[in-house]
Amino acid sequence: MTDHTASVPAQTEGMEQGPPQVLGVSDSAPPQVLGVSDSAPPQVVGGQQNGRLGRPLLLLPEEERLLAELHATANANQGGGGVQLSLEVKQHLEEQERSLEEQRVLALQDRKSALLHAMTSSHTGSLGPSEALRGRLEALHRSFTFPRGAMAVQLSTARAGLHHCHEDRAFLRAQQPITAQHDSKAAARYQVFRDLRGRGFYLTSAGKFGGDFLVYPGDPLRFHAHFIAVVLSLDSSLSPLDVLAIARLGSNVKKTVLLCSPGGVQYPGGAGGVQYTSLQWSGMV
Amino acid sequence: MSEASHRAEEAPNWILVHPAYQDIKSLEVEDSAQVHAAFLVYMDLSEVRRWKEVSCVKSPELQVVLLEGREKEGAPIQTVFPLPTHRPLSHQSIRHVLDRGFPMLLCAVASDSTLVYQRMTDGLVTPDPPTGPFQDLGRRQHRKRRKQQ
Repeated sequence: MTDHTASVPAQTEGMEQGPPQVLGVSDSAPPQVLGVSDSAPPQVVGGQQNGRLGRPLLLLPEEERLLAELHATANANQGGGGVQLSLEVKQHLEEQERSLEEQRVLALQDRKSALLHAMTSSHTGSLGPSEALRGRLEALHRSFTFPRGAMAVQLSTARAGLHHCHEDRAFLRAQQPITAQHDSKAAARYQVFRDLRGRGFYLTSAGKFGGDFLVYPGDPLRFHAHFIAVVLSLDSSLSPLDVLAIARLGSNVKKTVLLCSPGGVQYPGGAGGVQYTSLQWSGMV
Repeated sequence: MSEASHRAEEAPNWILVHPAYQDIKSLEVEDSAQVHAAFLVYMDLSEVRRWKEVSCVKSPELQVVLLEGREKEGAPIQTVFPLPTHRPLSHQSIRHVLDRGFPMLLCAVASDSTLVYQRMTDGLVTPDPPTGPFQDLGRRQHRKRRKQQ
């Protein structure tokens, strides 16, 4: 699983209020916490941050807030772990058995069809060997074994977030207090951030494209971003020319511009609704 | 010379007497700039692009003229929202137009009557993937490029 190179995140008191950083992160950080790698300033304790512990991750303020919230809720849910765990183990074993059975059936089918192919291809047109063929098929059916060692096991490498590994969660606790953001836009950005994260997207900042977030369908190292998310409140007004400009930019880089506004009517009573509008190339020259 | 100027004086009135303009006017939308924009878009859709069944309708929430039409016979109805470029646009108004349930086009009308259409869709629409054929450059190609630089 994960390989921790250090167990104690360094303290950073005495540093001035900079962007939130997570220190001491091992290379295999849980997915979706992207941050941006940055060299630590030399005041950090021991001066060993770059070399031994790895460079710190610079987090988006939204990422920091989400981490803090996850940590808080996870601490609240620590109880009942034992029962949950044994249930999961039982489910896992049952799944393995089912997978083994399926694979056994498929393997036998494969063998039979291979045998059929071998027999019929060498005796094309003659009816004599059909007896021998049937005999061999029956012998195969009787003697076929599918050892457990031959079973293929699927390992899901995309993890479901921070729910599984609480050591990583403790590790990624942002050390500085949350940089208070007083502008009203921050709340809107955070809501959109959480909603998109909830749908399984990876998000980074989109300064290069004049937007708020870049939305990736998976690991940014493996995919190009699909969307440029622009966060705005439902009633804030912009010029149609600005809309055209950013839509044009999106078309040029093969990304869809997404206008995101929190406050959907789909979720009455819930603050979780976000309305999305995609801007696409019209094709009307 | 005088004939040309005489014609120029009469020319602006052709819009006011045009039946389509009068249809739009009858919707009683107060924003005259938006009404004018709607007329220009109407003419573009019906005469230039030859859309079918182009009609105008008033949006009660937004107090603007919207146009509906089909790109071709049998194509689905689309809503077109004409908007002068100096008017503000909010996400809320876009949602109102989308709520009508048809595919939506925003048409920005510039002061020189240039029309620019922008497709707007509800939800997250994945962009088209890059088109092939994808060819890995051989080493020779790569060296050529580096030399050119």
